[in-house]
Amino acid sequence: MSSIIKISGLTFVYQGSKVPALDQINMDVKQGDFIGIIGPTGAGKTTLALCMNGVIPHFYPGDFYGSVWVDGKDTVENDCAVLAGSIGSVFQDPEAQMVAMVVEDELAFGLENLNLPRHEMERRITEALEITGISHLRYHSTSRLSGGQKQRVAIASAIALHPKILVLDEPTSELDPQGTEIVYDTLKNLNENHGITIIVIEQKIQYLAQYCSRLMVMDKGKIVIEGSCREVLARQDILKPLGINCPPVTQLAHMLKERGLYHGEYPLKVDEAYMVISKVLQDWGNFK
Amino acid sequence: MPALVEYIPKDTLVHRLNPITKILWTLAVLSVCFILQEPLAIFIVLLSNILVAWLSGVLKQVIPAIIGLFIFSLVLILFQIFFVKEGNTLFYVIPFINLGRVTDVGLKFSAVLALRMLATTSTIPILMTTTQMKDIIVVLTEKCRVPFKYSFMLVTALRFIPTFIEEMDQILQAQRSRGYETDTSNPFKKLFIIIPLAIPLLILSVKKAEKMAISMEVRGFGAGPRSYYNRVDMKKTDYAVIALLGTITLAVLIM
Repeated sequence: MSSIIKISGLTFVYQGSKVPALDQINMDVKQGDFIGIIGPTGAGKTTLALCMNGVIPHFYPGDFYGSVWVDGKDTVENDCAVLAGSIGSVFQDPEAQMVAMVVEDELAFGLENLNLPRHEMERRITEALEITGISHLRYHSTSRLSGGQKQRVAIASAIALHPKILVLDEPTSELDPQGTEIVYDTLKNLNENHGITIIVIEQKIQYLAQYCSRLMVMDKGKIVIEGSCREVLARQDILKPLGINCPPVTQLAHMLKERGLYHGEYPLKVDEAYMVISKVLQDWGNFK
Repeated sequence: MPALVEYIPKDTLVHRLNPITKILWTLAVLSVCFILQEPLAIFIVLLSNILVAWLSGVLKQVIPAIIGLFIFSLVLILFQIFFVKEGNTLFYVIPFINLGRVTDVGLKFSAVLALRMLATTSTIPILMTTTQMKDIIVVLTEKCRVPFKYSFMLVTALRFIPTFIEEMDQILQAQRSRGYETDTSNPFKKLFIIIPLAIPLLILSVKKAEKMAISMEVRGFGAGPRSYYNRVDMKKTDYAVIALLGTITLAVLIM
Protein backbone atom coordinates (compact mmCIF):
# COMPACT_ATOMS: atom_id res chain seq x y z
CA MET A 1 0.00 0.00 0.00
CA SER A 2 1.28 3.45 -0.82
CA SER A 3 1.29 6.17 1.82
CA ILE A 4 -1.39 8.81 1.41
CA ILE A 5 -0.25 11.17 4.16
CA LYS A 6 3.42 11.69 4.83
CA ILE A 7 4.47 13.98 7.66
CA SER A 8 8.15 14.49 8.32
CA GLY A 9 9.83 16.58 10.98
CA LEU A 10 6.68 18.61 11.59
CA THR A 11 7.02 21.22 14.31
CA PHE A 12 4.43 23.94 14.82
CA VAL A 13 4.43 26.81 17.30
CA TYR A 14 1.27 28.92 17.51
CA GLN A 15 1.89 32.65 17.26
CA GLY A 16 2.34 34.11 20.73
CA SER A 17 3.18 30.75 22.26
CA LYS A 18 6.65 29.59 23.26
CA VAL A 19 5.95 25.89 23.59
CA PRO A 20 5.62 24.00 20.32
CA ALA A 21 2.15 22.49 19.90
CA LEU A 22 3.69 19.82 17.71
CA ASP A 23 7.26 18.70 18.17
CA GLN A 24 9.11 16.75 15.48
CA ILE A 25 6.19 14.66 14.29
CA ASN A 26 6.85 11.91 11.78
CA MET A 27 3.89 10.02 10.50
CA ASP A 28 3.11 7.77 7.59
CA VAL A 29 -0.49 6.94 6.80
CA LYS A 30 -1.19 4.18 4.29
CA GLN A 31 -4.19 4.17 2.03
CA GLY A 32 -7.09 2.33 3.66
CA ASP A 33 -5.83 2.78 7.22
CA PHE A 34 -8.18 3.42 10.13
CA ILE A 35 -6.06 5.35 12.58
CA GLY A 36 -7.04 6.40 16.07
CA ILE A 37 -5.22 9.20 17.85
CA ILE A 38 -5.51 9.47 21.61
CA GLY A 39 -3.84 11.52 24.29
CA PRO A 40 -4.45 13.93 27.15
CA THR A 41 -5.81 17.44 26.45
CA GLY A 42 -3.19 19.77 25.08
CA ALA A 43 -1.25 16.91 23.55
CA GLY A 44 -1.53 18.48 20.09
CA LYS A 45 -4.08 16.10 18.59
CA THR A 46 -6.29 18.83 17.16
CA THR A 47 -3.27 20.77 15.91
CA LEU A 48 -2.08 17.67 14.08
CA ALA A 49 -5.51 17.28 12.44
CA LEU A 50 -5.47 20.94 11.41
CA CYS A 51 -2.04 20.43 9.83
CA MET A 52 -3.42 17.62 7.70
CA ASN A 53 -6.31 19.57 6.19
CA GLY A 54 -4.19 22.66 5.58
CA VAL A 55 -5.93 24.91 8.11
CA ILE A 56 -2.42 25.16 9.53
CA PRO A 57 -0.46 27.02 8.12
CA HIS A 58 -3.10 28.80 5.98
CA PHE A 59 -5.51 29.85 8.72
CA TYR A 60 -3.56 30.01 11.97
CA PRO A 61 -0.34 31.99 12.02
CA GLY A 62 2.73 30.48 13.65
CA ASP A 63 6.11 28.91 12.98
CA PHE A 64 5.85 25.89 10.73
CA TYR A 65 8.77 23.52 10.21
CA GLY A 66 8.93 20.24 8.34
CA SER A 67 6.60 19.05 5.64
CA VAL A 68 3.13 17.59 5.29
CA TRP A 69 2.17 15.79 2.09
CA VAL A 70 -1.45 14.84 1.63
CA ASP A 71 -2.38 12.78 -1.41
CA GLY A 72 0.71 14.01 -3.23
CA LYS A 73 0.11 17.67 -2.38
CA ASP A 74 2.26 19.84 -0.15
CA THR A 75 -0.04 21.56 2.36
CA VAL A 76 2.10 24.69 2.45
CA GLU A 77 1.85 25.25 -1.29
CA ASN A 78 -1.77 24.18 -1.71
CA ASP A 79 -4.74 26.04 -0.24
CA CYS A 80 -7.35 24.43 1.99
CA ALA A 81 -9.76 24.56 -0.92
CA VAL A 82 -7.41 22.51 -3.12
CA LEU A 83 -6.81 20.02 -0.33
CA ALA A 84 -10.56 19.78 0.21
CA GLY A 85 -10.72 17.49 -2.83
CA SER A 86 -8.48 14.97 -1.07
CA ILE A 87 -9.20 15.32 2.61
CA GLY A 88 -12.53 15.81 4.33
CA SER A 89 -12.75 17.18 7.85
CA VAL A 90 -15.25 16.88 10.67
CA PHE A 91 -14.73 18.98 13.77
CA GLN A 92 -15.70 18.76 17.40
CA ASP A 93 -18.61 21.18 17.54
CA PRO A 94 -21.13 20.06 14.91
CA GLU A 95 -23.33 23.09 15.51
CA ALA A 96 -20.62 25.57 14.53
CA GLN A 97 -19.88 23.72 11.29
CA MET A 98 -23.34 24.17 9.84
CA VAL A 99 -23.56 26.90 7.26
CA ALA A 100 -27.03 26.26 5.88
CA MET A 101 -30.51 26.12 7.35
CA VAL A 102 -31.57 22.89 5.64
CA VAL A 103 -29.66 19.58 5.65
CA GLU A 104 -29.76 19.27 1.86
CA ASP A 105 -28.23 22.75 1.42
CA GLU A 106 -25.61 21.96 4.04
CA LEU A 107 -24.39 19.08 1.88
CA ALA A 108 -24.69 21.17 -1.27
CA PHE A 109 -22.47 23.94 0.14
CA GLY A 110 -19.16 22.15 -0.43
CA LEU A 111 -20.29 20.85 -3.82
CA GLU A 112 -21.28 24.34 -4.94
CA ASN A 113 -17.80 25.55 -3.98
CA LEU A 114 -16.33 22.90 -6.27
CA ASN A 115 -18.46 24.30 -9.10
CA LEU A 116 -20.12 20.98 -9.87
CA PRO A 117 -23.10 20.73 -12.23
CA ARG A 118 -26.51 20.42 -10.60
CA HIS A 119 -27.25 16.78 -11.49
CA GLU A 120 -23.89 15.69 -10.08
CA MET A 121 -24.65 17.52 -6.80
CA GLU A 122 -28.04 15.86 -6.64
CA ARG A 123 -26.42 12.43 -7.09
CA ARG A 124 -23.70 12.99 -4.50
CA ILE A 125 -26.10 14.40 -1.91
CA THR A 126 -28.39 11.37 -2.22
CA GLU A 127 -25.40 9.04 -2.01
CA ALA A 128 -23.80 10.72 1.01
CA LEU A 129 -27.10 10.78 2.89
CA GLU A 130 -27.61 7.08 2.16
CA ILE A 131 -24.13 6.07 3.31
CA THR A 132 -24.54 7.92 6.60
CA GLY A 133 -28.08 6.62 7.00
CA ILE A 134 -29.83 9.97 7.26
CA SER A 135 -31.80 10.11 4.01
CA HIS A 136 -34.93 10.85 6.04
CA LEU A 137 -33.40 14.11 7.33
CA ARG A 138 -32.80 15.59 3.88
CA TYR A 139 -35.34 18.41 4.14
CA HIS A 140 -35.03 18.99 7.89
CA SER A 141 -33.90 22.25 9.44
CA THR A 142 -30.29 21.99 10.64
CA SER A 143 -31.00 23.90 13.85
CA ARG A 144 -33.53 21.34 15.06
CA LEU A 145 -31.41 18.20 14.75
CA SER A 146 -30.12 16.23 17.73
CA GLY A 147 -26.38 16.10 18.48
CA GLY A 148 -25.94 12.71 16.82
CA GLN A 149 -27.90 13.77 13.75
CA LYS A 150 -25.83 16.95 13.43
CA GLN A 151 -22.65 14.93 13.69
CA ARG A 152 -23.79 12.61 10.92
CA VAL A 153 -24.80 15.57 8.76
CA ALA A 154 -21.28 16.93 9.26
CA ILE A 155 -19.81 13.58 8.18
CA ALA A 156 -22.18 13.39 5.22
CA SER A 157 -21.22 16.87 4.02
CA ALA A 158 -17.56 15.88 4.24
CA ILE A 159 -17.95 12.65 2.29
CA ALA A 160 -20.14 14.26 -0.36
CA LEU A 161 -16.92 15.87 -1.59
CA HIS A 162 -15.56 12.36 -2.29
CA PRO A 163 -12.40 12.69 -0.23
CA LYS A 164 -9.80 9.93 -0.08
CA ILE A 165 -9.14 10.71 3.57
CA LEU A 166 -11.46 11.70 6.38
CA VAL A 167 -10.09 13.44 9.49
CA LEU A 168 -12.43 13.57 12.46
CA ASP A 169 -11.68 15.53 15.61
CA GLU A 170 -13.62 14.00 18.49
CA PRO A 171 -16.69 13.36 16.38
CA THR A 172 -18.57 11.74 19.25
CA SER A 173 -17.82 14.19 22.07
CA GLU A 174 -21.46 15.15 22.37
CA LEU A 175 -22.96 11.73 21.81
CA ASP A 176 -24.31 8.97 24.02
CA PRO A 177 -22.94 5.41 23.64
CA GLN A 178 -25.64 4.48 21.13
CA GLY A 179 -24.98 7.55 18.96
CA THR A 180 -21.24 6.92 19.19
CA GLU A 181 -21.67 3.40 17.95
CA ILE A 182 -23.75 4.57 14.99
CA VAL A 183 -21.04 7.06 14.02
CA TYR A 184 -18.31 4.42 14.29
CA ASP A 185 -20.32 1.90 12.29
CA THR A 186 -20.68 4.58 9.60
CA LEU A 187 -16.92 5.17 9.64
CA LYS A 188 -16.24 1.43 9.47
CA ASN A 189 -18.53 1.16 6.46
CA LEU A 190 -16.74 4.08 4.75
CA ASN A 191 -13.38 2.50 5.48
CA GLU A 192 -14.19 -1.03 4.43
CA ASN A 193 -16.65 -0.57 1.58
CA HIS A 194 -15.60 2.78 0.12
CA GLY A 195 -11.86 2.61 0.71
CA ILE A 196 -11.67 5.89 2.58
CA THR A 197 -8.68 6.33 4.86
CA ILE A 198 -9.88 7.40 8.30
CA ILE A 199 -8.03 9.30 10.99
CA VAL A 200 -10.02 9.86 14.15
CA ILE A 201 -9.16 11.72 17.32
CA GLU A 202 -11.03 10.20 20.21
CA GLN A 203 -11.06 10.07 24.01
CA LYS A 204 -13.17 6.93 24.32
CA ILE A 205 -10.49 4.28 23.94
CA GLN A 206 -12.87 1.32 23.86
CA TYR A 207 -14.16 2.47 20.45
CA LEU A 208 -10.65 2.98 19.10
CA ALA A 209 -9.67 -0.49 20.27
CA GLN A 210 -12.73 -1.95 18.63
CA TYR A 211 -12.63 -0.17 15.27
CA CYS A 212 -9.12 1.10 14.46
CA SER A 213 -6.37 -0.75 12.66
CA ARG A 214 -3.65 1.42 14.16
CA LEU A 215 -3.38 3.48 17.31
CA MET A 216 -1.26 6.51 18.01
CA VAL A 217 -0.73 8.00 21.45
CA MET A 218 0.28 11.65 21.71
CA ASP A 219 1.59 13.68 24.61
CA LYS A 220 3.11 17.18 24.73
CA GLY A 221 3.24 17.53 20.97
CA LYS A 222 5.00 14.22 20.38
CA ILE A 223 3.90 10.80 19.29
CA VAL A 224 4.63 8.57 22.28
CA ILE A 225 3.75 5.16 20.84
CA GLU A 226 2.34 3.99 17.59
CA GLY A 227 1.33 0.57 16.38
CA SER A 228 -1.49 -1.90 16.14
CA CYS A 229 -4.15 -1.68 18.85
CA ARG A 230 -2.81 -4.76 20.61
CA GLU A 231 0.77 -3.49 20.56
CA VAL A 232 -0.22 -0.13 21.98
CA LEU A 233 -2.64 -1.40 24.59
CA ALA A 234 0.02 -3.81 25.86
CA ARG A 235 2.08 -0.82 26.99
CA GLN A 236 -0.01 0.04 30.04
CA ASP A 237 3.14 1.34 31.70
CA ILE A 238 3.06 4.24 29.22
CA LEU A 239 -0.71 4.68 28.96
CA LYS A 240 -1.53 4.80 32.68
CA PRO A 241 0.62 7.89 33.51
CA LEU A 242 -1.07 9.71 30.59
CA GLY A 243 -4.46 9.05 32.16
CA ILE A 244 -5.56 6.76 29.35
CA ASN A 245 -7.68 4.00 30.77
CA CYS A 246 -7.63 0.90 28.67
CA PRO A 247 -10.88 -0.88 27.84
CA PRO A 248 -12.04 -2.98 30.82
CA VAL A 249 -11.39 -6.26 28.97
CA THR A 250 -7.79 -5.26 28.28
CA GLN A 251 -7.34 -4.18 31.88
CA LEU A 252 -8.60 -7.54 33.05
CA ALA A 253 -6.14 -9.35 30.80
CA HIS A 254 -3.39 -7.11 32.11
CA MET A 255 -4.22 -8.02 35.70
CA LEU A 256 -4.27 -11.70 34.80
CA LYS A 257 -0.87 -11.32 33.17
CA GLU A 258 0.54 -9.54 36.19
CA ARG A 259 -0.48 -12.49 38.33
CA GLY A 260 1.06 -14.88 35.85
CA LEU A 261 -2.24 -16.48 34.95
CA TYR A 262 -2.34 -15.48 31.30
CA HIS A 263 0.37 -15.08 28.63
CA GLY A 264 -1.36 -14.62 25.29
CA GLU A 265 -2.44 -11.57 23.32
CA TYR A 266 -4.51 -8.73 24.73
CA PRO A 267 -8.23 -9.01 24.01
CA LEU A 268 -9.94 -5.93 22.52
CA LYS A 269 -13.54 -7.02 22.45
CA VAL A 270 -15.85 -8.72 24.90
CA ASP A 271 -16.03 -12.00 22.96
CA GLU A 272 -12.23 -12.14 22.81
CA ALA A 273 -12.11 -11.56 26.56
CA TYR A 274 -14.59 -14.40 26.99
CA MET A 275 -12.14 -16.72 25.20
CA VAL A 276 -9.29 -15.51 27.41
CA ILE A 277 -11.22 -16.05 30.62
CA SER A 278 -12.44 -19.50 29.64
CA LYS A 279 -8.86 -20.44 28.75
CA VAL A 280 -7.55 -19.15 32.08
CA LEU A 281 -10.26 -20.99 33.99
CA GLN A 282 -9.58 -24.17 32.03
CA ASP A 283 -5.83 -23.96 32.74
CA TRP A 284 -6.56 -23.33 36.37
CA GLY A 285 -8.89 -26.33 36.50
CA ASN A 286 -6.20 -28.50 34.87
CA PHE A 287 -3.63 -27.15 37.33
CA LYS A 288 -5.75 -28.15 40.29
CA MET B 1 -37.92 29.79 19.74
CA PRO B 2 -39.40 33.26 20.13
CA ALA B 3 -41.66 34.64 17.45
CA LEU B 4 -39.11 35.94 15.00
CA VAL B 5 -40.05 36.59 11.44
CA GLU B 6 -39.38 33.14 10.06
CA TYR B 7 -40.32 31.36 6.88
CA ILE B 8 -43.72 29.68 7.17
CA PRO B 9 -43.90 26.73 4.78
CA LYS B 10 -47.25 26.90 2.96
CA ASP B 11 -48.41 26.34 -0.57
CA THR B 12 -50.12 29.54 -1.63
CA LEU B 13 -49.93 31.74 -4.69
CA VAL B 14 -47.69 34.20 -2.84
CA HIS B 15 -45.37 31.43 -1.65
CA ARG B 16 -44.98 30.11 -5.17
CA LEU B 17 -44.03 33.49 -6.64
CA ASN B 18 -40.43 34.12 -7.55
CA PRO B 19 -38.50 36.08 -4.87
CA ILE B 20 -37.74 38.69 -7.54
CA THR B 21 -41.46 39.30 -8.00
CA LYS B 22 -41.94 39.70 -4.28
CA ILE B 23 -38.97 42.05 -3.97
CA LEU B 24 -40.39 44.09 -6.87
CA TRP B 25 -43.70 44.18 -5.00
CA THR B 26 -42.04 45.70 -1.92
CA LEU B 27 -40.34 48.27 -4.17
CA ALA B 28 -43.64 49.05 -5.93
CA VAL B 29 -45.36 49.58 -2.57
CA LEU B 30 -42.47 51.81 -1.55
CA SER B 31 -42.69 54.00 -4.65
CA VAL B 32 -46.51 54.18 -4.65
CA CYS B 33 -46.47 55.28 -1.00
CA PHE B 34 -44.05 58.07 -1.75
CA ILE B 35 -46.00 59.28 -4.78
CA LEU B 36 -49.32 59.36 -2.91
CA GLN B 37 -49.97 62.38 -0.69
CA GLU B 38 -53.40 61.49 0.73
CA PRO B 39 -53.56 59.59 4.05
CA LEU B 40 -56.61 57.64 2.88
CA ALA B 41 -54.87 56.45 -0.30
CA ILE B 42 -51.82 55.26 1.64
CA PHE B 43 -54.15 53.55 4.09
CA ILE B 44 -55.62 51.61 1.16
CA VAL B 45 -52.09 50.47 0.23
CA LEU B 46 -51.61 49.29 3.81
CA LEU B 47 -54.90 47.39 3.59
CA SER B 48 -53.71 45.77 0.36
CA ASN B 49 -50.59 44.57 2.21
CA ILE B 50 -52.75 42.99 4.89
CA LEU B 51 -54.83 41.40 2.13
CA VAL B 52 -51.66 39.87 0.65
CA ALA B 53 -50.70 38.55 4.09
CA TRP B 54 -54.18 37.03 4.45
CA LEU B 55 -53.97 35.47 0.97
CA SER B 56 -50.65 33.83 1.84
CA GLY B 57 -51.96 32.55 5.17
CA VAL B 58 -49.34 34.32 7.27
CA LEU B 59 -51.65 36.92 8.81
CA LYS B 60 -51.18 35.45 12.30
CA GLN B 61 -47.41 35.88 12.10
CA VAL B 62 -47.48 39.27 10.38
CA ILE B 63 -50.08 41.02 12.59
CA PRO B 64 -47.80 41.20 15.70
CA ALA B 65 -45.09 42.76 13.56
CA ILE B 66 -47.55 45.30 12.15
CA ILE B 67 -48.80 46.14 15.67
CA GLY B 68 -45.18 46.72 16.73
CA LEU B 69 -44.67 49.00 13.73
CA PHE B 70 -47.94 50.76 14.54
CA ILE B 71 -46.73 51.68 18.03
CA PHE B 72 -43.54 52.94 16.48
CA SER B 73 -45.50 55.04 14.01
CA LEU B 74 -47.54 56.58 16.88
CA VAL B 75 -44.26 57.69 18.43
CA LEU B 76 -43.31 59.12 15.05
CA ILE B 77 -46.56 61.13 14.99
CA LEU B 78 -45.88 62.49 18.49
CA PHE B 79 -42.46 63.67 17.40
CA GLN B 80 -43.79 65.37 14.29
CA ILE B 81 -47.19 66.81 15.04
CA PHE B 82 -46.24 69.72 17.33
CA PHE B 83 -43.54 71.06 15.05
CA VAL B 84 -45.81 71.99 12.16
CA LYS B 85 -46.75 75.67 12.48
CA GLU B 86 -48.80 76.16 9.26
CA GLY B 87 -52.54 75.61 8.90
CA ASN B 88 -55.59 76.18 11.07
CA THR B 89 -55.50 75.25 14.71
CA LEU B 90 -57.57 72.16 15.44
CA PHE B 91 -57.01 71.88 19.20
CA TYR B 92 -54.45 72.22 21.96
CA VAL B 93 -53.29 69.27 24.02
CA ILE B 94 -53.38 71.43 27.18
CA PRO B 95 -56.16 73.88 26.27
CA PHE B 96 -55.98 76.70 28.90
CA ILE B 97 -52.33 77.64 28.45
CA ASN B 98 -52.41 76.98 24.70
CA LEU B 99 -49.65 74.38 24.80
CA GLY B 100 -49.25 71.66 22.16
CA ARG B 101 -50.91 73.25 19.15
CA VAL B 102 -52.15 70.77 16.57
CA THR B 103 -53.00 72.09 13.11
CA ASP B 104 -54.89 70.39 10.29
CA VAL B 105 -51.79 70.50 8.06
CA GLY B 106 -49.69 69.04 10.86
CA LEU B 107 -52.15 66.24 11.50
CA LYS B 108 -52.30 65.33 7.83
CA PHE B 109 -48.55 65.59 7.45
CA SER B 110 -47.77 63.30 10.35
CA ALA B 111 -50.55 60.88 9.42
CA VAL B 112 -49.06 60.57 5.93
CA LEU B 113 -45.62 60.06 7.41
CA ALA B 114 -46.77 57.37 9.86
CA LEU B 115 -48.91 55.54 7.31
CA ARG B 116 -46.08 55.63 4.78
CA MET B 117 -43.75 54.08 7.32
CA LEU B 118 -46.32 51.41 8.20
CA ALA B 119 -47.25 50.56 4.61
CA THR B 120 -43.67 50.40 3.33
CA THR B 121 -42.23 48.39 6.22
CA SER B 122 -45.13 45.96 6.65
CA THR B 123 -44.17 44.34 3.34
CA ILE B 124 -40.92 43.05 4.83
CA PRO B 125 -42.40 40.53 7.31
CA ILE B 126 -44.71 39.31 4.53
CA LEU B 127 -41.72 38.84 2.23
CA MET B 128 -39.75 37.01 4.92
CA THR B 129 -42.57 34.68 5.97
CA THR B 130 -43.44 33.66 2.41
CA THR B 131 -39.95 33.38 0.90
CA GLN B 132 -37.16 31.01 1.83
CA MET B 133 -33.92 32.81 2.57
CA LYS B 134 -31.94 30.49 0.32
CA ASP B 135 -34.16 31.45 -2.62
CA ILE B 136 -33.54 35.12 -1.95
CA ILE B 137 -29.81 34.37 -1.92
CA VAL B 138 -30.06 32.55 -5.24
CA VAL B 139 -31.85 35.40 -7.00
CA LEU B 140 -29.59 38.01 -5.40
CA THR B 141 -26.45 36.28 -6.63
CA GLU B 142 -27.65 34.84 -9.92
CA LYS B 143 -30.12 37.44 -11.17
CA CYS B 144 -29.06 40.63 -9.39
CA ARG B 145 -25.30 39.88 -9.57
CA VAL B 146 -24.69 40.54 -5.89
CA PRO B 147 -21.31 38.95 -4.99
CA PHE B 148 -21.90 35.61 -3.24
CA LYS B 149 -19.82 36.66 -0.24
CA TYR B 150 -22.28 39.44 0.58
CA SER B 151 -25.42 37.38 0.19
CA PHE B 152 -23.76 34.59 2.15
CA MET B 153 -23.05 37.06 4.95
CA LEU B 154 -26.73 37.95 5.07
CA VAL B 155 -27.91 34.34 5.26
CA THR B 156 -25.28 33.45 7.86
CA ALA B 157 -26.35 36.32 10.08
CA LEU B 158 -29.89 34.95 9.96
CA ARG B 159 -28.75 31.36 10.50
CA PHE B 160 -26.92 32.33 13.67
CA ILE B 161 -29.94 33.98 15.33
CA PRO B 162 -31.43 30.75 16.78
CA THR B 163 -27.95 29.62 17.84
CA PHE B 164 -27.33 32.84 19.71
CA ILE B 165 -30.73 32.77 21.38
CA GLU B 166 -29.91 29.29 22.65
CA GLU B 167 -26.45 30.37 23.84
CA MET B 168 -27.90 33.42 25.57
CA ASP B 169 -30.42 31.25 27.35
CA GLN B 170 -27.66 28.95 28.60
CA ILE B 171 -25.52 31.86 29.79
CA LEU B 172 -28.53 33.35 31.54
CA GLN B 173 -29.22 30.09 33.34
CA ALA B 174 -25.56 29.63 34.24
CA GLN B 175 -25.33 33.11 35.74
CA ARG B 176 -28.67 32.75 37.53
CA SER B 177 -27.64 29.43 39.05
CA ARG B 178 -24.67 31.20 40.57
CA GLY B 179 -26.99 33.70 42.20
CA TYR B 180 -26.81 36.50 39.68
CA GLU B 181 -29.84 38.78 39.83
CA THR B 182 -31.19 39.16 36.31
CA ASP B 183 -34.65 40.56 36.94
CA THR B 184 -35.24 44.23 37.47
CA SER B 185 -37.68 46.83 36.28
CA ASN B 186 -35.11 49.62 36.47
CA PRO B 187 -33.90 50.24 32.91
CA PHE B 188 -30.56 51.68 34.08
CA LYS B 189 -29.83 48.67 36.27
CA LYS B 190 -30.75 46.47 33.33
CA LEU B 191 -27.92 48.05 31.34
CA PHE B 192 -25.40 46.85 33.90
CA ILE B 193 -27.04 43.47 34.31
CA ILE B 194 -26.51 42.76 30.64
CA ILE B 195 -22.68 43.01 30.87
CA PRO B 196 -21.94 39.59 32.46
CA LEU B 197 -24.34 38.09 29.93
CA ALA B 198 -23.10 39.90 26.84
CA ILE B 199 -19.38 39.29 27.33
CA PRO B 200 -19.57 35.47 27.35
CA LEU B 201 -21.96 35.63 24.41
CA LEU B 202 -19.54 37.81 22.47
CA ILE B 203 -16.61 35.48 23.16
CA LEU B 204 -18.65 32.42 22.29
CA SER B 205 -19.84 33.95 19.03
CA VAL B 206 -16.33 34.90 17.95
CA LYS B 207 -15.22 31.33 18.66
CA LYS B 208 -18.21 29.91 16.78
CA ALA B 209 -17.53 32.20 13.84
CA GLU B 210 -13.93 31.03 13.71
CA LYS B 211 -14.93 27.37 13.76
CA MET B 212 -17.44 28.00 11.02
CA ALA B 213 -14.87 29.83 8.92
CA ILE B 214 -12.53 26.83 9.19
CA SER B 215 -15.33 24.45 8.34
CA MET B 216 -16.10 26.54 5.24
CA GLU B 217 -12.45 26.73 4.29
CA VAL B 218 -11.98 22.95 4.34
CA ARG B 219 -15.03 22.57 2.14
CA GLY B 220 -13.48 24.70 -0.55
CA PHE B 221 -15.14 28.07 0.09
CA GLY B 222 -13.76 30.86 -2.07
CA ALA B 223 -11.85 28.48 -4.32
CA GLY B 224 -13.06 30.03 -7.54
CA PRO B 225 -16.18 29.93 -9.68
CA ARG B 226 -19.16 28.53 -7.89
CA SER B 227 -22.28 26.70 -9.00
CA TYR B 228 -25.67 26.74 -7.28
CA TYR B 229 -27.77 23.81 -6.19
CA ASN B 230 -31.06 25.61 -5.75
CA ARG B 231 -32.76 27.07 -8.77
CA VAL B 232 -35.56 29.59 -8.92
CA ASP B 233 -37.39 30.07 -12.17
CA MET B 234 -39.70 32.84 -13.34
CA LYS B 235 -43.18 31.55 -14.12
CA LYS B 236 -46.08 32.99 -16.07
CA THR B 237 -47.78 34.20 -12.88
CA ASP B 238 -44.59 36.09 -12.02
CA TYR B 239 -44.70 38.02 -15.28
CA ALA B 240 -48.42 38.68 -14.80
CA VAL B 241 -47.89 40.00 -11.26
CA ILE B 242 -44.97 42.17 -12.37
CA ALA B 243 -47.08 43.60 -15.21
CA LEU B 244 -49.91 44.35 -12.78
CA LEU B 245 -47.52 46.02 -10.33
CA GLY B 246 -46.05 48.12 -13.14
CA THR B 247 -49.48 49.22 -14.33
CA ILE B 248 -50.62 50.25 -10.84
CA THR B 249 -47.42 52.17 -10.17
CA LEU B 250 -47.67 53.96 -13.53
CA ALA B 251 -51.35 54.76 -12.99
CA VAL B 252 -50.62 56.26 -9.57
CA LEU B 253 -47.76 58.27 -11.04
CA ILE B 254 -49.95 59.74 -13.83
CA MET B 255 -52.93 60.59 -11.60
